[in-house]
Amino acid sequence: MSFTLDADLVVVGAGPAGLSAALAAANAGARVVVLDEYAEPGGQFYKQLPAEFSVPDRAQLDDDYTKGDALLAAVKKAGVTISNETLVWGAFEPGVLSVRRRGEAGSVKAQKIVVASGAYERAIAFPGWDLPGVMTPGGAQTLAKNQQQLPGERIVLAGSGPFLLPVTKTLLGAGAHIAAIYEATRPREWARHALRLWGHWDRVAEALRYRRMLADAGLSIRFGRIVVRAEGAECVERVVTMECDAAGQTIAGSEQVEACDTLCVGYGFIPQVQLTRLLGCEHRFDALRGGWVPKFGSDMQTSVPGVFVAGEVAGIGGAYTALAEGWVAGLGAARALGHKIREMSLLSAQRERTTRRKFGDLVNAVFAVKPGIFGLIADDTLVCRCEEVTAGEIRAAVAAWGASAGAVKGVTRCGMGYCQGRICGSLLEELTARAAGCAREDVGGLSVRPPLKPVRVGELADLAE
Amino acid sequence: MNSDGKIIPGASVTLQLDGKPLPARRGQTVAAAMLAAGQRVLRHTRRSGKPRGLFCAMGVCFDCVMTIDGEAGVRACMTKVEDGMQVNSPAQFKPYERKS
Repeated sequence: MSFTLDADLVVVGAGPAGLSAALAAANAGARVVVLDEYAEPGGQFYKQLPAEFSVPDRAQLDDDYTKGDALLAAVKKAGVTISNETLVWGAFEPGVLSVRRRGEAGSVKAQKIVVASGAYERAIAFPGWDLPGVMTPGGAQTLAKNQQQLPGERIVLAGSGPFLLPVTKTLLGAGAHIAAIYEATRPREWARHALRLWGHWDRVAEALRYRRMLADAGLSIRFGRIVVRAEGAECVERVVTMECDAAGQTIAGSEQVEACDTLCVGYGFIPQVQLTRLLGCEHRFDALRGGWVPKFGSDMQTSVPGVFVAGEVAGIGGAYTALAEGWVAGLGAARALGHKIREMSLLSAQRERTTRRKFGDLVNAVFAVKPGIFGLIADDTLVCRCEEVTAGEIRAAVAAWGASAGAVKGVTRCGMGYCQGRICGSLLEELTARAAGCAREDVGGLSVRPPLKPVRVGELADLAE
Repeated sequence: MNSDGKIIPGASVTLQLDGKPLPARRGQTVAAAMLAAGQRVLRHTRRSGKPRGLFCAMGVCFDCVMTIDGEAGVRACMTKVEDGMQVNSPAQFKPYERKS
């Protein structure tokens, strides 16, 4: 059993970037199929409730739940096909993607591809980060918002970046008890960037709304503190934090202990580039925008003709950047397909994209991971959660095999487990560079091979029939 | 499940978690149903036998892999519950020994 889908344009990912690209291309006359791994479209930003849940009065829901409604309705009205629960795991010939949908193997054929695969959260290892109850902030938000399930009874949020604020909003809205919020940076460290806020008034207003939300909840963010370890017998029971300076060096004697049953730690996001790598796109290392990103031109086309990118996969920049970039990529793909597009619409989306990228870059610069945080990873700290490889094993491999992330991966099995290095890959590269004393980009990225996520051997056999 | 009436989860179903009944509602993921029942430890790792719970909850980290209806390595956070679904913690095994 296998299935085939056929379109002019295939968009991978149904978040803001992918939906925007699909709408732009469909409006221009292209037949568009959107593939998305989740059960409901929307990505993380426009996350939809499970179809099995019912909502008696949608007007009663707050905008967390309804902000994607208009875009999703427009996409459906434009005749776009959205294939949910569809994982893209291979690309063996140009214009064909190998997929699995609810356990069935399939092929998707299209002349052009927009990769809008988004990002995942940047987790940084610390002792105890593998204890049950330690999770990513986005994971906690997904549980509370999409599943109507609080992750725990006493929650601590930590890490760095503005994403902690919408997570706090969702958790408070769901009735959570938040014991503390720790942000690694300090307002005085942001000061030199303040002038760059000029013009981004909608985002400034958003920040002020969050400030009021925290005040109303009686919460105050504890700035300049980082998680140094989580402790507990079977599950996390408490978190130890320390004050740190602008470089992330901890300040002796500043340890504090906070009891919790849920600890959410996130340091921003990493572009999900496995598919663009598999498609053969050239990448470059962009520390400001989250790591390895595909190279692209003004129409969002990558180094591989016919392959476009949009949104977080092209570099971390937030949902508004993703919407604008999706529009540019969708129009670019439609034009490449021979459809007539409205050049003014492309130009204005390109301008919007530039403005939104500027704000994204500002946020990225302000909340960049302080280097000292990596220095806290001791030899006995777990780095690869799947294959259970420690930092010490990685450092020993660097000493023996040199400054190559790929070699260290092969020797230690770090990054070779179920998640294929999505969680530990960036840590592996960082620790390798630090142990070898060279620049991060010089140790190279991890190579990517199909399947991008596990599939059953039987499905491969079905595909060959 | 913390519903205030604005959002109503699907019909009640019962899973079998390691042979014991686990109540759930349609639309829930296996991971959320386990969490709702207070089951924070999802599995134990194969090298060191340490407990693991839900980490990313969105299909990236594979820390929540369970054996579901006989298929091994299935993400509990990406799998919606079905009535009578058989969910098992992965069997303990040591596929290889490494020298560190």
